Amino acid sequence: MTGGTFQHSTGHSWEDVEEGDVLPTLHFPITVYRLVMAAGANRDFNAIHHNSEYAKASGAPEMYANNLFLQGMWERTVRDYIGLGGVIRKLSGFRMKVFNTVGTTVVVKAHVLRKWTENGNGCVEFEIRSENVDGVVTVGPGRIIATMPSATAPADSRRARQQENSMDFHSSRR
Amino acid sequence: MKDDWKAAWQPLIDAVGQDFSGGQRTVGADEVSAATIRRYLEPLEFDCALHYDAEAARAHGYDDIIAPITSIQTFSLPPMWEPGQTIFASAERDAQPAGGALSGFKTPLEPKTTGYFATDYEVEYFRPVTVGDRLHRRGAKLLACLPKETKVGRGAFLTWESEIRNQRDEVVARMRTTWLRYNPPGAEQ
Repeated sequence: MTGGTFQHSTGHSWEDVEEGDVLPTLHFPITVYRLVMAAGANRDFNAIHHNSEYAKASGAPEMYANNLFLQGMWERTVRDYIGLGGVIRKLSGFRMKVFNTVGTTVVVKAHVLRKWTENGNGCVEFEIRSENVDGVVTVGPGRIIATMPSATAPADSRRARQQENSMDFHSSRR
Repeated sequence: MKDDWKAAWQPLIDAVGQDFSGGQRTVGADEVSAATIRRYLEPLEFDCALHYDAEAARAHGYDDIIAPITSIQTFSLPPMWEPGQTIFASAERDAQPAGGALSGFKTPLEPKTTGYFATDYEVEYFRPVTVGDRLHRRGAKLLACLPKETKVGRGAFLTWESEIRNQRDEVVARMRTTWLRYNPPGAEQ
């Protein structure tokens, strides 16, 4: 899989992952309608995200996607890849450099930076970024760390690990 | 002097390391619910069964539907309006409501600014958030204050650290958010 595009299906395992794997690229067209839906959903009602005149008066070129909406795009990109058994543990380097304005498309790209095991968990670190259609990086590049289930662990063990995840999925890193 | 405006931020620079929360916690407006999670998924077209199918979530070791990790900040926000309040007092087209749930932490030490937006975000997730949880935010520790003139105006990048906890007071996440607070060119600094 190195350097290739990993076709996601739910339930694939940590062993399937190889450093360099490229995640499917996701496209998020940004319309006024969608920005209004996002504001209502994530409750970031700052008018710079749904009011062109207000955004321009604040120094931005247009209304633009909010922080939480952009974070959600990263989460969806990684979740699509790690499947339902994966657990996202850390997000960092989420730096918004360029406004993701209405009328453009946010393109999210990611790849597997490294994989390792830690306290019995299969860990994967992704490098991820948002770009505009001109290839300019608008957010990141940042990192997301997730754990993924192991195919070699017995079913009971996998279940126990999942329950442990549910109870406290970060205890090993405190 | 060219950089005189930066002096206005010095009291905040001197306060780096201080927790301004006074031990107070900010409680999320509502319990986490399947309905609000569903609405969070819609603009993202986020099709993950852990977030809408309780059976699928249980099959993966969770007690119920879980919230997307990026939604927990939303679920820790206070209400925009509470009974007895008037937040819409003007019919001016672009009038803003009083307050605002997601505007970052403000202290009396900083100079007046009219613009703000988040620039950086980092978070560690410790526990899943499940339908029925009620989140709150605790702590407001100032980690950095960096005055800077940018394309949108003069202001400062402020980095704050806080925790999000559930109704059992268990830490769900620890996050660091950087806000740019600024005045657009021509505005009073």
